[in-house]
Amino acid sequence: MTETKKFVVTRFDPDEDETPRQQSYEVPVQPDWKVLDGLNYIKDEIDGTLSHRWSCRMAVCGSCGMMVNGKPTLTCKDRLSNYGDTLEVAPLSNFPVVRDLVIEMDGFMEKFQSVKPWIITAKEKAVEEGTNRQSPEELEHFKQFSMCINCMLCYSACPVVGNEPEFIGPAAIALGHRYNMDSRDEGARERNEVFRGEGTVFSCSYANECSEVCPKNVDPAAAVNQAKINAVLDWATSFVVPRQGQGGK
Amino acid sequence: MKTLLLKLEPIIWLLFGQGILIGTMLLTAWLAVVGVGIPLGLVDAQALDYERAHALGSNLVGRLVLLGLVALPLWKGAHHCRHLSLDMGGAERDAIVAPLLYGVATVGSVLAVMAVVSL
Amino acid sequence: MSRAAHPHAMQPHRPGSTRTAPPQMPPQFPSQGRYLSYSLFGATGILYLMAGFVALRAVRALGEGPEAWAALQAQFAHPLYVAFHALSLLAVLFVGVRFFRLFPKAQPAKIGPAKPPPRPVIHAMLYVVWIAVSGGLALVLAGGIF
Repeated sequence: MTETKKFVVTRFDPDEDETPRQQSYEVPVQPDWKVLDGLNYIKDEIDGTLSHRWSCRMAVCGSCGMMVNGKPTLTCKDRLSNYGDTLEVAPLSNFPVVRDLVIEMDGFMEKFQSVKPWIITAKEKAVEEGTNRQSPEELEHFKQFSMCINCMLCYSACPVVGNEPEFIGPAAIALGHRYNMDSRDEGARERNEVFRGEGTVFSCSYANECSEVCPKNVDPAAAVNQAKINAVLDWATSFVVPRQGQGGK
Repeated sequence: MKTLLLKLEPIIWLLFGQGILIGTMLLTAWLAVVGVGIPLGLVDAQALDYERAHALGSNLVGRLVLLGLVALPLWKGAHHCRHLSLDMGGAERDAIVAPLLYGVATVGSVLAVMAVVSL
Repeated sequence: MSRAAHPHAMQPHRPGSTRTAPPQMPPQFPSQGRYLSYSLFGATGILYLMAGFVALRAVRALGEGPEAWAALQAQFAHPLYVAFHALSLLAVLFVGVRFFRLFPKAQPAKIGPAKPPPRPVIHAMLYVVWIAVSGGLALVLAGGIF
């Protein structure tokens, strides 16, 4: 017996629409379907003009983040059975919308790159010196924060992202913190300057919504608040230990 | 102004953090006893008659406690009120709101030091 | 229906080639779901500011002498003052509980060689310290000790 659910989807065509509008679709659904299956059915069978991002269908690529009934979620992971007869699907909050459910990602990519998400060392290690060695305990210091799939649900949930455009944001700070806590890295001072710059980590006001919505248990709120402490310690010690020249890249 | 605020941010955040941590702990006792307990007769008002209150307050530890009780909540309050303003779409007015609020906390802290010193 | 976010929220420095619809705040913000707790947490700032200045009045009254102190205590007995202090006390308890829930995970995995205790231990320690400090101060204020 096929059930039907009503999808109320936000549509926006920049060439046709002044502002986003909603369009309803009646979708025959299977019991084990995810929200993404419903959207793909709409695109394949009902309305081919619907635009939405998706890829892996297994919650590892981070492409399919959208607002469902007002909450940011990975639509490939979110079961339709979690919802009643009607679902409202909208593009991620806090982002400019390119078209329908597709948001502008370049702002996120800029914030991402601003935290220098790569190993920074003062001197590059020669090949003859061998590989970097890292103990399991050292790995545990940052492993959780390396699990981010850049789905941007945390940016969607964070009230500060929506109100303060310069804020670096949860995922980017978590990634920068990941490198600061990596025993192979020597770039903490550089990153902490970014963390105390215009996009300051101190803008975080403890909503914790980023961690609530994260599908990978990265706990960006922990990273951001740990980064605050590290940034303060770095600032305090900079009075005692003068800054050296920039580390080599 | 924005650059100055960013430079001062670690100090402001530390004061805000202590405002929550220590300020909350001190305020709990103060509000429970002085704010509610004594006025409602749950605590004997004689416990804080002038002689005893002044003796407690003018002791070095007492002065520090009173200073923390007044100043630290001001920093927590100022920082959170600033975030309230930002949450209500106040990013553009932050250059005025932030110095105003932190200025209030600074003035209050200075007054607190003066009041505590003159006990 | 959500309200508009900041017009430049998540906007790249070099805009794309097509017109975009402006960003929207999360629909539940500011007063639905978990955002309510968040907004209340921020709103306690107003009470903390007021409570700090009222405590400042008390310290100044204590410094001015017995009459000023007695007058202040009489004012504190007014129902509005009692209501304000009671509401502030609730706010302080709410702030403590919410902040202590987040505090343990805010500690970096290590600072130099030092490592924090496990998170549940930190959480418990915070409450022990809260009870000890507040309880101790309350006993002193209420005449139980010293």
